Amino acid sequence: MKLPVCWLKDFAAVGNATPQEIADALLSVGFEVEEIIYAGEDIQNVVVGKVISCKPHTNSDHLHICMVDVAKEILQVVCGAPNVKTGDVVPCALAGAKLPGGINIKAGELRGVMSYGMLCSGKELGVDDTVIEGAEVNGLLQLPKDTPLGTDIRKVLGLDEYILDVSVTANRPDCQSVVGLAREVAASLGVKFTPPTNKYKTVEYDGEYMPDVKIESDLCSRYTGRLIKDVKIEPSPEWMRKRLRLAGIRPINNIVDITNYVLTEIGQPLHSFDVRFINKGIVVRKAVKGEKITALDGKEYILDDDMLVIADSIKPVAIAGVMGGEFSGIMSDTASVFLEAARFDRRSIRITSRKLGLRSDSSARYEKGVDYTSVDEGRERALSLIYKLKAGKIVDVKADEGEERPKEKIIETSVSQICSIIGIDIPKQNVEKILRSLDIETESKVRSDKLTCTIPLYREDIEDFADLSEEVIRYYGYDNIKSTFLKSASCTEGGESAKDRKAGDIKNLLCGFGAYEMMTYSFIPEKACDMLRLEAGDERRKVIKLKNPLNEDTAVMRTQLTHSMLSTIALNLSRGNDEFRLFEFGRKYIPIAENELPDERMVLTLGFAGKNENFYEIKSAVNAVLAYFGVTYSVDYSKEPYLHPGVSADFTVNGKKIGSCGNIHPTVKDSYGINGNVFIAELDLEDLLDAEKNEIKYSAISRFPCVNRDLAFVVKEEFNIGDLTETIRQACGADLEQISLFDVYKGEQIEKGYQSVAFSLRFRSLEKTLGEKEINTLVNAATERVKAVYGAILR
Amino acid sequence: MEEQIAKLTDECAAEISAAESESALYSVRVKYLGKSGKISELMKGMRDLSPEMRPVMGKIVNDARTKLESLFTEKGNALHEIELVTRLASEKIDITIDKPHPVGKLHPLNAVRKRLVDFFVSMGFDVMEGPEIETDYYNFEALNVPKDHPARDMQDTFFIGGNMLLRSQTSAAQIRYMEDHKPPLKMISPGRVFRNDDDATHSPVFNQLEGLVVDKGITMCDLKGILESFAKHFFGKDTKVRFRPSYFPFTEPSVEVDVSCAICHGEGCRICKGTGWIEILGAGIVNRKVLRTCNIDPDVYTGFAFGFGIDRIANIIHGIPHIKLLYENDVRFLKQF
Repeated sequence: MKLPVCWLKDFAAVGNATPQEIADALLSVGFEVEEIIYAGEDIQNVVVGKVISCKPHTNSDHLHICMVDVAKEILQVVCGAPNVKTGDVVPCALAGAKLPGGINIKAGELRGVMSYGMLCSGKELGVDDTVIEGAEVNGLLQLPKDTPLGTDIRKVLGLDEYILDVSVTANRPDCQSVVGLAREVAASLGVKFTPPTNKYKTVEYDGEYMPDVKIESDLCSRYTGRLIKDVKIEPSPEWMRKRLRLAGIRPINNIVDITNYVLTEIGQPLHSFDVRFINKGIVVRKAVKGEKITALDGKEYILDDDMLVIADSIKPVAIAGVMGGEFSGIMSDTASVFLEAARFDRRSIRITSRKLGLRSDSSARYEKGVDYTSVDEGRERALSLIYKLKAGKIVDVKADEGEERPKEKIIETSVSQICSIIGIDIPKQNVEKILRSLDIETESKVRSDKLTCTIPLYREDIEDFADLSEEVIRYYGYDNIKSTFLKSASCTEGGESAKDRKAGDIKNLLCGFGAYEMMTYSFIPEKACDMLRLEAGDERRKVIKLKNPLNEDTAVMRTQLTHSMLSTIALNLSRGNDEFRLFEFGRKYIPIAENELPDERMVLTLGFAGKNENFYEIKSAVNAVLAYFGVTYSVDYSKEPYLHPGVSADFTVNGKKIGSCGNIHPTVKDSYGINGNVFIAELDLEDLLDAEKNEIKYSAISRFPCVNRDLAFVVKEEFNIGDLTETIRQACGADLEQISLFDVYKGEQIEKGYQSVAFSLRFRSLEKTLGEKEINTLVNAATERVKAVYGAILR
Repeated sequence: MEEQIAKLTDECAAEISAAESESALYSVRVKYLGKSGKISELMKGMRDLSPEMRPVMGKIVNDARTKLESLFTEKGNALHEIELVTRLASEKIDITIDKPHPVGKLHPLNAVRKRLVDFFVSMGFDVMEGPEIETDYYNFEALNVPKDHPARDMQDTFFIGGNMLLRSQTSAAQIRYMEDHKPPLKMISPGRVFRNDDDATHSPVFNQLEGLVVDKGITMCDLKGILESFAKHFFGKDTKVRFRPSYFPFTEPSVEVDVSCAICHGEGCRICKGTGWIEILGAGIVNRKVLRTCNIDPDVYTGFAFGFGIDRIANIIHGIPHIKLLYENDVRFLKQF
């Protein structure tokens, strides 16, 4: 809300308080001032000057050389304006001046003649005829001849003003007005608040047409109207135009300006109809579905049956509270005006405005809520301004339909109750003084803690004692609150869930693999499914779509995290980061049924990039994660369409596939623009994180010496080394402490189609020192077993 | 014979002294004390001596042997020391070379989140994570923000359809928690939230931490105490906390909370925009309607709630200038924290 300081001063006796002091006062009671605006910000060093001589420039056919009296000195200025002549009183930009649009004025030579400034037009000062008469002429802005020379032009143009841009919270619609904020400022600074006084005279009603009003919907709780005749449409006076401009509203004509003025000052939207176009009375009703109206913006709107309209006997003449109809508005020849002041349901206005995509100052104000009293205050204010501006004659006839004045809310409370949630004792006299300064009447008996508070109708936000506590502490000052450390609270058991703790452990584990954690958005482009080559029937194509996404790239909720990982890898590679490991722990969103919250599952992705990475590196990280959960798993070549079919694995735990890892499919690499050696993994860890994790139990460590043996087998390439290893392990039994692969060889000394596979075996028993004979028995068992199963020959 | 021994001893001592390496010393040892060394040879001549002379000569020979042994040991140690020093010197390497071995790190946001969680857990706060896709009821209605209420304009929300939306505030978790737990309760809920807002200073995804305490006799003073302790813990022990009146539908009274600027200590700088204060969170006494919605009697219990952006805290702590950097995941960024 734009609050011109000069306007505020009409109602709050702030004296010489600076704009900053007023802003601080507002901030201290909960109204943040986002900006203190100086209206003349764009103009500097421009003063009123008088042309005392004006001679043509000898070297130009249109320039003049003027001597200009700016009170302090007389300057030579070269001027190109067609209307310049001796005796003119005009704005003169001095050397070093600033004009709107970032123009700087310097002294300089013009066709061989020095010019120490510039005489200005209205346009050059950024003003038009609504600011000052003559601003739009072709040439210099001619100021009244009696304007004191040397005066700062901002004073003359009414730009020497400050405006506070106040952010008003949603609970205080009453402060969406100059008067409402003035009341708060006055209470905050402890100065006098004077509400506006309205005086006007009416003329007798002599039977002219006055629409009668019927309310047919409870979305309108009150509708009042007055008739103004002998209206003379003309520009409003300079002081009114100036204030409207400072508040950010464009002046139009006296009647429209008055309604806007009242909207800003009192916070009550008003609407003026030309009576000529209202056919036989006014009905406030819901629109008929499909009903059309052309609004003041010249556009046609098709209405819905939940929208409220102001209609005459034939047609809607306004979308209630949002915008008037094009053909019932004020025109230059309007002679009789029906002035509407009404109260419409804020939800209804909000819904209508959103559905139609049509906002106005009026709808914005109604959405926040207009109270019972502002209808009367706004209307009376408008009538007194019409009277004051002699814009028309107020006829002594009224329309006033709708609810009776409601009773003020009474809150029975006590000082101790009000203080109970604040936590400090505030003396009763302070409490009462604060509440009264806010127009809240308090009644109490001497030596009693009890308070009976009468809440003014415009404070619809105050409902119980907690609201009064806020009013009191807001003004008593939050700085008076002492810190206590939950002095009355009970001890509670806190802590992270087991799931969070496990997730934390996994993250630490991956940090140990040299991987950095990343965090990406939860929404991805829908085309990600195509980029990953997901098949038409893939479950991951069933994505939850946002109704109002920011853009295509963030349009659907992710059903996998691989897209985010690949995008991040691509970004890093493109920036020259060529060796890195990344991981992400985040949620995917799997739809269950319509109108049901989806299944949000924790997913882990890994991404290893760089020349030294390979399948086994990333597999070892996946192994480590699964080992943390203590589960056994099986692997098979992955069927993920985005992975290399021969360099990838699917991991199955308890018969359920939980994820995969591997090299990226070349086509997918191209889609993401990834150029480099990259391996990725994605694991759905939700079930593992949820499952109870057994505490690890100690297993005995043998105290006997170990014996190491190396064995190499020649075996067909088609057999998996994993299976071979497992077979040896089983054949050797419990005394084989460890088996590790140390070489795989294919080449000259080995028959084609075969490979040599070498293992290191370490034998150790828990019970005794193993002898040569026992070791040989175990080795023979293993050798014969792999020969039998795989036809493997010991080298 | 005695003379011979003395001569041999002197000769040997001279050779020990002259030996330049451990192997040369070993040769000297073999030459004199070996099985067929000169001293041993001499010993063979003992049998020619008279029986009474044998013990005398035996002692002389043994004394000589003992003397030489100790000379060998002494010289041996000295030579060993020299050779060790030489070897070690030859094994010297260039220690200024680095072999990179990256140790991964948590994302700065999660590292800060972990610290925050630890802090509140230490005071008995339970940790709860709610769903990120929420119903209108938990995100708005139960928090005293009815449909088409102007307070909804405070947050641009992403909608999914039906009654579902991406939660715009972790406050949604408050309601879920109070449905399942009754006072006395203390909880925090850290997590992702979403707003339809994307510019230089806003990210459509960010992280909040919601805190809630409900018990008998909870006041604004308790709120200030907890937040002051939080502020001192994270921004330095001299940090001050300031309350400013504000409005949130689910708290009454509501406050914005500022902390004194940790960079300039209240002098005014770029970070605090010259005010000396940094706005970090919103808080207040839980609205009585919200308690009632969760079947908690507001005449018996009161509570406070607070909520802040983890991103903002992380950015203040680490001096990160833009929130967008957090979600870009440039490895050069992630390595820093």
